[in-house]
Amino acid sequence: MAFTIKVKVNGEWKTADVEPEMTLLELLREQWGLTGTKLGCDEGDCGACTVLFDGKPVNSCLVLAVRADGHEVVTVEGLGTAERPHPLQSAFEQHGAVQCGFCAPGMLISAKALLDANPEPTEQEIREALAGNLCRCTGYTKIVEAVKSAGRAMKSSVK
Amino acid sequence: MERDVIRKVPLVKPGEPGMIVEEAPTEELAGYPSVGRRIPRRDTIFQVLGQLKYINDLSFPGMLYAKVLRSRYAHARILRVDVSKALEVPGVVAAITADDIPVNSFGPSLQDQPVLAKDKVRHMGDGIAAVAAVSEQIAEEALEKIVVEYEPLPVVLDPLEAMREDAPRIHEPRSNIYWEWHIRKGDVEKALAEAHLVVQERYRTQMVEHVSMETHSSIAMWDAGGRLTVWCTVGRITLARTDLARILQVPVSRVRVVSTQLGGNFGGKNEITIEPVLAILAKKTGRPVKGTYSRKEEFIASTTRHPFIMEYTSGVTAEGRIIARKVRLIADGGAYCSWSETTLGKATILSAGPYDIPNIALDGYVVYTNKPMTGAMRGFGAPQVCFAYESHMDTIAHRLGMDPLQIRLLNAYDEGSISATGQILHSVALKKTLLAAAERFGWEVKER
Amino acid sequence: MKKRGRGIACMWYPIGFTVSANPSAAVVKVNEDGTATVLTGTVEIGQGSLTVLAQIAAEELGISPRDVIMVSADTDGTPVDTGAIASRTTYVTGNAIRLAAKEAKKILFEVAAPMLGVRTDQLETRQGRIWVIDFPQKNISIGEVAYYSQVKLGRPVQGSASWNPPTVPLDPQTGQGKPFNTYVYATQIAEVEVDTETGQVDVLRIVAAHDCGTPINPMLVEGQIQGGISMGVGFALSEEMVFSSNGTLLTSSLSNYLIPTTVDMPEIEVIIVDNYDPTGPFGAKGVGEPTLVPTAAAILNAIYDAVGVRLYSLPATPEKVLKALREKEAQNNTASSTH
Ligand code: FES
Ligand code: FES
Repeated sequence: MAFTIKVKVNGEWKTADVEPEMTLLELLREQWGLTGTKLGCDEGDCGACTVLFDGKPVNSCLVLAVRADGHEVVTVEGLGTAERPHPLQSAFEQHGAVQCGFCAPGMLISAKALLDANPEPTEQEIREALAGNLCRCTGYTKIVEAVKSAGRAMKSSVK
Repeated sequence: MERDVIRKVPLVKPGEPGMIVEEAPTEELAGYPSVGRRIPRRDTIFQVLGQLKYINDLSFPGMLYAKVLRSRYAHARILRVDVSKALEVPGVVAAITADDIPVNSFGPSLQDQPVLAKDKVRHMGDGIAAVAAVSEQIAEEALEKIVVEYEPLPVVLDPLEAMREDAPRIHEPRSNIYWEWHIRKGDVEKALAEAHLVVQERYRTQMVEHVSMETHSSIAMWDAGGRLTVWCTVGRITLARTDLARILQVPVSRVRVVSTQLGGNFGGKNEITIEPVLAILAKKTGRPVKGTYSRKEEFIASTTRHPFIMEYTSGVTAEGRIIARKVRLIADGGAYCSWSETTLGKATILSAGPYDIPNIALDGYVVYTNKPMTGAMRGFGAPQVCFAYESHMDTIAHRLGMDPLQIRLLNAYDEGSISATGQILHSVALKKTLLAAAERFGWEVKER
Repeated sequence: MKKRGRGIACMWYPIGFTVSANPSAAVVKVNEDGTATVLTGTVEIGQGSLTVLAQIAAEELGISPRDVIMVSADTDGTPVDTGAIASRTTYVTGNAIRLAAKEAKKILFEVAAPMLGVRTDQLETRQGRIWVIDFPQKNISIGEVAYYSQVKLGRPVQGSASWNPPTVPLDPQTGQGKPFNTYVYATQIAEVEVDTETGQVDVLRIVAAHDCGTPINPMLVEGQIQGGISMGVGFALSEEMVFSSNGTLLTSSLSNYLIPTTVDMPEIEVIIVDNYDPTGPFGAKGVGEPTLVPTAAAILNAIYDAVGVRLYSLPATPEKVLKALREKEAQNNTASSTH
């Protein structure tokens, strides 16, 4: 039996008919075509599917779509645009923090959650905040550098 | 040969005195010279916006989803496969077995791998049957309805055991040892007899997986003219096309293989996996068919890194010069050859280390076991032998009371050194790297 | 107690296939607006190969890398390439693209020479223009020449080429031969801290000095080295596919097969040593695979230096380290009681 749900996705309310076992990740990717969020394991182990759920990072492969009814979800597509990229997106590009890029959408979302809560994180805080997002390509060095630099950029633009 | 001159010319700005400059082709002149510059990857902007399309982000109208039934045993005979019950599941459109495959074998060196196992399974990642359905979930459920009768066979997991004459043969009647490499230079036995010190050790490494964050994914579709297009996460499209054409028994020109950006490879996406299954299902149903590996399938049904057993014997002078090295490598080659020939070859060639050693005997063997396939993985056997030869170097240094850096500098290859295979080496920067790393690290030489 | 140690490991690694043919072919088209389109059959796997290859094409043509359009990974639309394997893309595909760009440049020069009133060997390209050597007052834009060549002379500016590294087959008995055309070299030094109570090994710092010939894009080279080291750390300390006696894989998910996370990775210092290989494009060799080759050896040597136990197998899990420490203790005790 399908349920009709209403979710605020990247600032816009959307409705969908979903089966009870459908995950939020499937809803985003298969039904709404928001393929920016990635499927890396389907078991909550890799963080490729991270989205913001009411401002908190969650693994969307572990969240049932019905649970999102009435809630707010932000995916990588909601972070910025080509004309107005989020400082994190620019920093990831400029620092060479992305290689194959499969981890990047989830990584960016976790980093955004961190910077929203803590604009001036220490290196250790950054590493801890991103510990649930696996990356096989970069060794994380440039990712940590990029998050640091985005934090600085966001702070100076606020002033 | 002389170095190419990469001219670091001053930037020319339009209207600069003395220069007749018209419109520059870009608004940005900062792109010169091009080589040596820290330019961001050109796809990154699409990646960070979530816009870059990986294979699993693509779909076509009417597309079906495929799933493969994997073996319940690591080694068994298949007595019977029956897919009829799976076909009754609503939403299932087609099911195939080994009987549907025109040429049921492939592999880059030995064509010893079936697309779907027919008489026998050799590891738990072997596929036996596949279904195409309107959703992944339905395909998955239908797999449970497939009936397979097995006759279990003794399982061999240890490569040393697999090498024994009386071991169960995984590819009967052939021996389990399926490739060998041998390199000889000088007279190793004589040099060992003359050495001041002889050190003998045995090292082992484990099986590991590439763990690309993106799992294998492909879509197959035939056009009305009988041409097949496969969109896939394969890093070697030319080889994939050859393999697919051979399996499907169509001319290579009727197969088109397209890739986009891969979500990691590391050697794990260098050959076809599920693509022939998708192509056959697509042909049967007349619809595009997609197949995406689960994380578990990545581990059991794609290639992995060869575990190695490595025996090292070295003869050294009192001053620390290595005058003889004997190496015996045994690679656990998993159930199928895949890139084992190359892996073992590179491992054997590199196994004496980057050292000027006049007397060398290197032997490499790779053997079948009932484990997942071992194939190409970043380093092709080099990380394994490097672990052995560099641990061994430290043992030798320790036994002689030498500093680890010193013994390496003493034996290291230099410009013009002759390799284990007799090649004159050029562009040898080994000592430069030793010294640069030691300096940055703050390495203090300690001798006893 | 926590004990620190240092370990060094060096390595050599070949570029390209072992003896067998592994050609790359390429087509370079110079467009009428002075940009170029490169067709290559390689596949971008995340390492940034298309960026590096664009830089090579741009350098040869004297245009900005931003003005190079890369078309790749289609067996119908792109020339044959052996693919993203064997750390060969920069070296082999790079050479093919450079040769193809040279062909295109030859046409540009043949067309531009009469326009500028000089011989073809008096010309050079940079900054999107063709210049008279030693008299830069005379120059013309590449786009203008390409347009004139294509539209007025009917001679589109494009080049195609292929390249395959020269090797010598190995003798079947002695293995003597030249399996590869070139090799790269590297040294990594690790500093670790070993907890003697738990056997836990923390990698604190890795210094990595690599030779890749000319680094076409140093930022991407660093990225390869840092990423390779993370794979090496996993190989050294945590990753292992474990099987039960009937061949069932017990570690088939990322919750029990552990790859390094942000908190497992040490500080990494990368040094790209100065080197130049005349057989590579602009002196470049390659960097993909060698990055992880010495990592595990350096870490295990550092463990040995820290606590004096030699581990003969990977990975150095806490259980294994602890067991080796206990065995060493037991040995010391018997040794001291017999003396
Ligand atoms: S896909 Fe959700 S955590 Fe891996
Ligand atoms: S960039 Fe490939 S997984 Fe992170």
